[in-house]
This record gives sequence, structure tokens and C-alpha cells, in this order.
Amino acid sequence: MAIIETRNLSKTYEGVVPVTAVSQVSLSIEAGEFTAIVGPSGSGKTTLLNILGGLDRPSEGQVLIGGEDITALSEAELIRFRLQHIGFVFQAYNLIPVLTARENVEFVMLLQNQPRDVRDARTDELLAAVGLADRANVRPSKLSGGQQQRVAVARALASKPRFVLADEPTANLDSRSTANLLDIMSELNRREGITFLFSTHDQRVIDRARRVITLVDGEIVTDQQRTPQA
Amino acid sequence: MLPILSWRNVWRNRLRSLVVILAIALGLWGGLFMMAFSWGMSEQRTRDIIDTQTSHLQVHHPEFKDEQRLSLTVPQGDSLAAQLRARPEVEAAAARMVLTGMLATASDAVGVQILGVEPEAEAALTRLRSRVTYGAYFPEDKRYPVLIGEQLAEKLGILEGSGDSADVNFRERLVLTFQAEDSTLSARFRVCGIYKAQNSRLEELQVFAVKQDLEALIGAGSLTHELAVKARDIAQTDALMQELRSQTPGMLTETWAELAPDINLIAESFEVSMRIFFVIILLALAFGIINTMLMAVMERTRELGMLMAVGMGKLRVFGMIMLETLYLALVGGPLGVLLAWATITWTSHTGISLAGFGEAGAAAYGMSAVVYPSIQPGYYLEISIMVLITAGLSALYPALRALRLRPVEAIRSH
Amino acid sequence: MLFKLAWRNLWRNRRRTLITIASVFFAVLLSVLMRSFQEGSYEVMIRNVVSFYTGYAQIHKEGYWAEQTLDNSFEPAEDLHLAAGPDLGVRRAVPRLESFALASSGDNTRPAMVVGIDPEAEPALTNLDQKLSAGAYFTGTAPAALVAEDLAEKLGLGVGDTLLLIGQGYQGVSAGGRYPIAGLLHFGSPELNKRMVYLPLPEAQYLYGAENRLTSYALVLENPDQTGRVVRALDEALPGSYEVMTWQELQPELVEGIEGDRAGGVITLTILYVIIGFGMFGTVLMMTAERQYEFGVMTAIGMSKLRQSLVIFIEISLMGLLGVLAGLAASLPLTWYFKLNPIYMGEQMAEVYAQFDMEPVLPASTDPGIFLQQAVIVFLLSLAISLYPIWNIQRLQPVRAMRS
Repeated sequence: MAIIETRNLSKTYEGVVPVTAVSQVSLSIEAGEFTAIVGPSGSGKTTLLNILGGLDRPSEGQVLIGGEDITALSEAELIRFRLQHIGFVFQAYNLIPVLTARENVEFVMLLQNQPRDVRDARTDELLAAVGLADRANVRPSKLSGGQQQRVAVARALASKPRFVLADEPTANLDSRSTANLLDIMSELNRREGITFLFSTHDQRVIDRARRVITLVDGEIVTDQQRTPQA
Repeated sequence: MLPILSWRNVWRNRLRSLVVILAIALGLWGGLFMMAFSWGMSEQRTRDIIDTQTSHLQVHHPEFKDEQRLSLTVPQGDSLAAQLRARPEVEAAAARMVLTGMLATASDAVGVQILGVEPEAEAALTRLRSRVTYGAYFPEDKRYPVLIGEQLAEKLGILEGSGDSADVNFRERLVLTFQAEDSTLSARFRVCGIYKAQNSRLEELQVFAVKQDLEALIGAGSLTHELAVKARDIAQTDALMQELRSQTPGMLTETWAELAPDINLIAESFEVSMRIFFVIILLALAFGIINTMLMAVMERTRELGMLMAVGMGKLRVFGMIMLETLYLALVGGPLGVLLAWATITWTSHTGISLAGFGEAGAAAYGMSAVVYPSIQPGYYLEISIMVLITAGLSALYPALRALRLRPVEAIRSH
Repeated sequence: MLFKLAWRNLWRNRRRTLITIASVFFAVLLSVLMRSFQEGSYEVMIRNVVSFYTGYAQIHKEGYWAEQTLDNSFEPAEDLHLAAGPDLGVRRAVPRLESFALASSGDNTRPAMVVGIDPEAEPALTNLDQKLSAGAYFTGTAPAALVAEDLAEKLGLGVGDTLLLIGQGYQGVSAGGRYPIAGLLHFGSPELNKRMVYLPLPEAQYLYGAENRLTSYALVLENPDQTGRVVRALDEALPGSYEVMTWQELQPELVEGIEGDRAGGVITLTILYVIIGFGMFGTVLMMTAERQYEFGVMTAIGMSKLRQSLVIFIEISLMGLLGVLAGLAASLPLTWYFKLNPIYMGEQMAEVYAQFDMEPVLPASTDPGIFLQQAVIVFLLSLAISLYPIWNIQRLQPVRAMRS
């Protein structure tokens, strides 16, 4: 069964001139995918990702996650749903500035009311996975952009989500950090089977994806499976 | 260019601008309204004293105040009072006999002032009828009736308890003793009612009797020691005084301000505390503006840094922020004045009841518990200027802080 | 965790936090100052008025105040002296025997309040010896009278002349006596000026046929702020045959005036609250606006709105608490300063006040109740203001918040 399935998803922003950001999108994402949504700016990538993550509501259509229609959930239910099932990585990292790297990762599990030993173990594991075990007790402002984004990935995974949504995760990063981040993400995808869905217009990211969905003016124009280049 | 930039900045962050505009408007409103309220309260006290005690003018024999002798009268006081009552600009006028004496019950004796009054005229002049809380106001069928104050009645044991459950002993006979021309006169009176005054001292001191009763006792014809007049409008006091002076040659005519010099004390002390409270309110306003503008400057670190980076001089940045404050003040100022004007106008009609405040409420003390705020138009300008100066001074510190920003750091910070 | 997050949020944007704390700080400072000056003006008025005559408290025979006659006088027993001693906070008990009588010069007669006093004790309460406008104060207890100047003028008497007193004494005996006038007194209160006559206590007791009897003890207290406590303690210590009264009971019209004024003070204070409340609201409003992005992220990663609200609530409570404490710390020395160095009202006012024997000064009150009350009110005000960001979080939409 598909982990994410959308049916005729549309989003129109009301205004003097109504703008259709996403139009009649039907797609299906299976567990274990490493998929990029690409397209020029304004093509509706972020809007689509926001709707898939339950941050925004579609004007029409449904979003089924694990078979459950999240468009039918209330505001508070959505927050709980996101906490349990979805991980987010943002373009601007968005770590909690007052918490250390370690606490940022742990924070989500605290919200989930996980016991302390589980939190500690998983935090160590994740920080090691993103290669930041030695920077665990440093606050975000003392970390480089690449390091912050790696903490953000660790945080996104902390809740053991069904999938991770990453909106332009490399837009603020230099080449080395980008390569490093992509290595970590594809490693996690390959070894632990974690599903990643990211929006991007960065060729380096597209090159690593196994499926590339192209949006133009809110519609899917191509959807191709491919073998990633190393 | 700078004025346009500042003006647009003001409207770019509406929320922040609104906060400062409202702070200024509220400060102005608060200052003006407090002024009007204090003024109204002070006036209320004055009016209370005029309405229940002094009236606008009083005429006495010039020596009467020093030496309250029976013979020191105002000639033809009764007919003068009647003539005055007929005049259109006079609201009320009454003649009184004033005697100093002793009031004795079977067991007590206290010093009192005996006022012989014309019941109808007195009721119109000092609202005495409406201030009677127990019994009746000089009923026709009672011989030698007197009204005594609540305080005195309690002291003499004539009034026990209060409110509906009060027990008044109207049978108690009182002996009033006073000095007539050559002899000491005593006569029996009966309490017909108990009145309430502005304060307990008056209630304890003044005893009201019918003027004609006293005149009959003394047997020397009509005797008026005090002629009190109330004009329809307080502003007519001086004109009326001139006229009274010419009609009563050799007599002493005094205005309410001369009769109750403590009105002056009350007004002056109101003025002083009002000024201090006004300074406190201005300070509150100043801190509100400083805080908000400081927040604004911090929030705009990037923007200001950018402006400096593209070559805007420090003086200009300073000027820009001061100009922004000026614009905000120019919007908030009139808003505050309008708000204050509306509140004052409205409350000056409806009045503000103080009965709900204070422990027992002012009303319980026979004081008017409703204050009608009022303000002299000049204050609008004066207070507006003070508030604008406060706003300007308050903007200084945030503007100076903005100057200390270093462009590179400002841009880097987020 | 929430507390830690709140605490660290506070220190993250230190300047913003300090500004918010400052707004609470000034709120407390200004509202305490306002109340302190309001109450201070009453305190100075009370001090002046009770020093005219009554003192802060008095002891009488039970029932005297309701019926002020000599028949309700008492013979001071030893236990009374002991009770009204320094143990209960009484510095001095000033004995008096007072009653109305007619004062006469032979040609003229006026009602007068004749008070027998202990010439040595009385000035401790009323500064009587400072109020002479002519002549001299009592020397010992030799027969002599001090007469208020207006009364003396009406009677046509001066220093050295003889004053006639006629009245009713203890248990209805008739009282009469002749006294040489030793001095004339000037009082600020026109009432007192018109009717007061002072005699040495033994003379008055002889005049009224009330040997060894008193009508009242007026009390000089160690600390006038403690009047209520002292009176309650005395009331318990003394047998039921005595009544102990505070100035509030002795001077109801003073209480009336103050209550009337206080009611007006409530309005002034409300205006101040509106303005300081808005000042605090302004900073919180700006803080909320600045943190929209942060709130959006928190919502996106799955932090419930309740928890976010709690964090904000903790933050504002902490800032409120710090601001209140700082405000109290600053207002204490400031009000003490103004209590010890009252604001002088200026020459012009001084003249008006002098006519009434009032001090032309405005001190601050340091009544602890004021501090506590204002601290609580401002703290509650800041909690009420925290409703705004909480409301803002409740209706926050993460996408829109993060776009800003």
C-alpha cells in the first residue's frame, strides 16, 4: 500500500486574482522512496509539500497517509499526527535556537512523552548517524549551516516518522555541505528504509533522486523513475 | 526624501505604529480626562458648599461676625429677601436669624448655633427640606418646631439606630437658651425632624427653627442677621454683589469665596496632587513609548543597517526615527484629544457616580457622589503640547540607540 | 522541559526580555508612587488634624463619646496608668477634663469649650505652648486661663483681664469661677479659635466640682501607623468600664473627606492602569509579532498549542515576577526618600496652608499594603496581557506564520 496517496489535489489562494498553486495532483508515494519534486519557483512545490505534511489544507481533493485521510482531521489532531508520523526539514533549518543540538533532537521525543532511556539512546544514535556526536552540546548559532541542517534531519527522524518532508533542504548550503547531507540522507534511506520526499531545484539533489516528479504551474508534467548517479 | 521615507516606514509596520499611536492617544486621553475629572470633583465640592452652606452671597451687619449680638441686624432683611426672590437672575434668597446659644435636654447641654429660617425660602436656597432624613420639615401643626442634625440627635440620644429601623424620640423637649438684648431667653422647642449635612460638624452645631417663632419670643419685630442669595448662574455673583451693596448701605456683602476660605484650600490641594499625578501619567506614557520604539529599532536592525550600508548618514537615520515619532504623534495626538473630548462631553452629561468606590461611598456622608467632569478649553492645547513633548523626548533614546548600530553587524544579525 | 524552554527563550533575546521586564518594572514603580502620594497626602492631613486637638486615640469612660457630659467622667485608677504605658506603644497619655460653659467678660457672653489640661503634658500632643499669639503659657498650675483669640476678641478681653466662666459641673452642681487671662491662643481651625478656653487641670476640676476626675486621656503614640493595633490592645487590657477610640471614630468628618477623595483616587488610578497596561501590552504585542515564525515552526514539528501557550505563559509570568520584584526594590527607597523629604508645595501654597495650620508638604506613604497591593495588581495585569500571545498561538496557521 502507498504510504502517501493524493487524489485530485488542488489548492487555490483566494484573492483579487485567485491563484491556483496546485492543480489536480494525483500521486502515490511508496515506502522507501527517495523522491524529488522539482520545478521552477512558483510551480507549487512548497504548497504541495505543505499539504502533504498537513501544514496547509487543500481546496479540493484528499491526502491519504497510510490510508487515513488527513484533510478530515482537526487542527489539534493534525498537530498530533505530524508529531507522530511526519518529519520535517526546512530550508532555513529552523532549529530551536535556545536548545543545544542534542536537546533539539530530544525535544520531539519529549513532546511524544518517550521515556528517558529511549530518548537518550535514539538521540545518540541519530547524532552519530548525521556525524555530529561531538557537537551534541552546542547551540545552533555555534554550528555551520550544513551542521544545522544535519541536526534538523536528525530531529526529523527522532519521532520515527513514516516519512520525511524536506523543503529545499540544500538551498542555503555550499557544495561540500550539500554532498555531505545528501550522503547521510541516502545512507539512511538505503540502510533503514526511511522515505524521503524533497522539493528542490538543485541539480545535485535531483541527480541523487530515484524518482523525479516535475511540477509546472501546479500540475505534474513528468514523473520518472531513474537510477541515481553516485 | 527623508519625510517620505519616514512616512512610508510608519505605514509599513502597521502593528508597531498602531501601538505607538494608541499609546500616545491613551496618554493624552488619560491626562485630559484625569484633569477634567479632578476639576469636576473640585467643582463638585465647591458646588456642594455653595448649595448647602454659603450660597453665592451673604449680607451681614459688618460687626456681626466679630460679635454675634442680637441687635446687629440687616435692616429690612425680610422684605429685601422677598424683593430679591422676585428678580429673574436670582434663583433663591432667604433671610435668617443667627443666634449663639445652648441646647439642653433633661440630661445634656451643648453649645449650638440657632438659625431662624423662613421655611420655604430656605428649602429653595440650601435644599434643607430634601436633607431631612427623619420626621417632617417644619409641619404647620407643630408649635415651636426645630430641626436638628443627625450627629447631634445621636449624641443627645434622640436618634437611635439608623435607616428604617431608626428610632426617633420626637417627644423629647429641648430648651434653647440664648442671649437677647438685655436678658437671657429660654424657650421650649420640639424636634420635628432630623437633617443631614455635608459633614458631621455642621450636623452637631446647627439647629434650625422658624424665624417667626424666634421673633415672637424675642418680641422686637423682624430681625435678620443674615441674608443669603443664590444667583441662577454663578457668573452673575459679582454683578449681583454690586447691586446688593448699593441696596444695603453700611452692610457687609461677601461672596462664597470669602465666606468659605477653605474652598480655596481644597481647590489648591487638588491642583497640587493633580499636577503630581499628571507627571506620573506622563512618565507612564514616556516609558510606554520608549519601550515600543526601542523594540521597533531592534526589530529593524537589518533595515537600518542596510540604510547605513547604502550610505545614509547617522544624522539622517536619527532624523528619520524622530520624524517617524512625530508622524505617529500627529496621528495619535488628535485621536487622543478626540477621544478625551468625547469621554468628557459624555460623562459631563451622565456624571460619574463614586458611590461604588471607597469603603462606604461618598454618598453615605451627604456629599454629592456624582462627579461631572469638565475642562477649560485651554487645557486641550496645554496638555497636547506636553504630551507631544513627552513623545519627542521618549523617542530620543531609541533613536540614539539606532545610531550605535554598526552597518555590517546589523546586516549580519538575524 | 517547558520551563527550561521558557527560561532559555527569555535569555535568548535578552534585550527584548529586558524591555518587557522594564515595562512591568515601571508599571509597579509608577502605580506604587501614585498610591503612595495619594495615601501620603491623607497621612499628612490626618497628622495635622489630629494634632489640632484629639490625638490619634483617646480613652474615656464607657459611654462618654455618645454622651459627652461631666457625669461620664472618670477617676483614673492606677491600672489605667499601667495599661496606657509604653508596653502597648503609648508614648504619653495626656489627661483632660472638658465641658461646655459660658465664657463672659461681664458685658459679653459666649459659649466656650473649657478644657482642663496638664500644662506639662499637653504640648506633647498639640504644641499648645507654640500657639500663643499674646501673653505667656501656664506656669505650673497656678489659676490662669488661656483663651482662643477670636473668643477673647468677641468678649473684649485681653491678657491680664479677668474671664468669667459659668456652667454646669459634675452631677449638676453649678460651676462658676474667675480667672486671669495668661495668654491668647491662635488656632488654624476657625472653630477652635472661636471657642477654646484652657485651664490647668486642678483648676478645671475645682471649677466643675470634679475633683480628681477626667473626661479623657488623649494618647501620643509611638507609631501612629499602628493606631488600630494599639487601640485594640488597650481595649483588651483595660476593664470594660473604659472605651478606647481611634481618630477615625473621634474625627468622622476627616474620614468622610478622605473617603470621598479616595473614591476619586480610584478613577485616577484606573487611568494610570490603562496607560501602563497598554505600555506592557505594546511590548508583548511586538514580541508576539516578532515570534510568529518561531511559533509556526513549533506548530509544524508537532508541538501542541497548549504546550506552546504554557511556554509563553511561563515566560510572561517570569518576566512579570522579575519586573514586579525589581519595581518593588526600586520603589521602596524612592518612597522612603519622599516620606523623609516630602515634596514642598511652594510659597504660594504655603501661605494658604498656613492659614489652616497645615503643613504645605506632600510626603509619600510607606504603608506596606500599598506595595503588596500594587505588586499583585500589576502582576495580574501582566498575566492578563499574556492572554494576547496565547490567543495568537491558538489561531496561528503554521504556513502563514512561517512565510512571514
